Amino acid sequence: MAVQNVQYIKLKIKRRDNPSSPSYWQDFHIPYRPNMNIVSALMEIRKNPVTADGQQVNPVVWECNCLEEVCGACTMLINGVPRQACAALTDKLIEKYGDRPIELAPLTKFPVIRDLMVDRTKMFDNLKRVHAWVQVDGSWTIDRGPRLSEKDQRIAYEISHCMTCGCCVEACPNYNSKSDFVGPNAIAQVRMFNLHAIGRMQADERLEALTGPGGIQDCGNSQNCKQVCPKHINLTAHIAAMNRQANAYILKSFLDK
Amino acid sequence: MSKFDFYIRRFHSLIALVPLGLFLCFHFLLNSSVFISNAAYLQVINFMKNAPFIIVLELVLIAIPIIFHGIYGIYIAFLAKNNAFQYRYYRNLAFYLQRVTSIILLAFIIWHVYTVRMAVHTPEGVIGVLLAQMQNPLTLVLYVIGVVSAVFHFTNGLFTFCITWGICVGDRAQKIFALCAVALFVVMSVWAVGILLTLSVA
Repeated sequence: MAVQNVQYIKLKIKRRDNPSSPSYWQDFHIPYRPNMNIVSALMEIRKNPVTADGQQVNPVVWECNCLEEVCGACTMLINGVPRQACAALTDKLIEKYGDRPIELAPLTKFPVIRDLMVDRTKMFDNLKRVHAWVQVDGSWTIDRGPRLSEKDQRIAYEISHCMTCGCCVEACPNYNSKSDFVGPNAIAQVRMFNLHAIGRMQADERLEALTGPGGIQDCGNSQNCKQVCPKHINLTAHIAAMNRQANAYILKSFLDK
Repeated sequence: MSKFDFYIRRFHSLIALVPLGLFLCFHFLLNSSVFISNAAYLQVINFMKNAPFIIVLELVLIAIPIIFHGIYGIYIAFLAKNNAFQYRYYRNLAFYLQRVTSIILLAFIIWHVYTVRMAVHTPEGVIGVLLAQMQNPLTLVLYVIGVVSAVFHFTNGLFTFCITWGICVGDRAQKIFALCAVALFVVMSVWAVGILLTLSVA
């Protein structure tokens, strides 16, 4: 639909007042302005929190930070697709979906704190579970280690774009309340840290975690993660590469003991 | 940290190919004798029924792996929170169908094994039951659904097997393997339905 004919930017927002109360939908109509994104539309609501049917309500709560799709804080479901609100341009949405209200909902795989704000602690806990950092603390200098080959740098650089936004785990059918799966992003991070010159010294610790409960074996190859990743990280290739590492690790640790 | 989940999932994946996948191909190959004649088919059944240690082979290579793969597979299927209607990507649909076909196959295999292995024992009896089933339009349709589900489950599983075991990693390799799996699905489906139709007009 051509944006010239649009009078209002219509938003349909899934709201919730506190973590234990039920959720409900509210419609908002914002006078059309060109070149807006979902964050600026939500800011308009904050200025004048009146619903489409004229009811004065509490302003909508959401999180945002960098406003350039690198922090992941404003991730939400926009017309059912997990993505960043800052990078969701209203003109593009209207062109794609027409004049129907743009649906905003909080991510479903995390506890909702209020309205569109969720608690993504679980993702960071999963990064801790798989030892997704380079260990430099110790009683002697570790130094920088050898340089990475350009091929390894390319792989690591791609994975380093991950901002733990939650899109991949939101779309993953196997990441849910019934399972303890660490998620696609954590698996990719293990590949990156196992490539790192110093990080690879703890490669076995990461593989130990990745083959433990909720590890890489819980991936069911639906490959949704790759489709929804806003940073176009080839998560399915990284998972397959880690499958190879995990199988070799298990076989080796079985034969070495 | 317990590795039980990892071992059991890898075992579940491995036995799907050897012996179960191989058995499926072997099963189709032997049944292809119906393309020659009913007499040839009868001869093949006779040969298999009289093969040495056939009961042991049936138990170790077919029954026990299928029961384990089936029970553990259904448990895996119920762990997923399917979203094929929200995220309409090809792989996600295949993921969903892999779980749907597992339920279909559980019912189909029980029926199939009961009617042609448990209820009848003589080769003449087996072929009699099969001819009756293929010549009844209702059971023929159930058989077509059953074998096409089996072929889908096998070929899609073959593709995910290559990822699970770290055989194909990169994008290009995955694309080529995915196309091969689709081609294999088409070929094996035509083959299997051909066997059924040959029996239905015999």
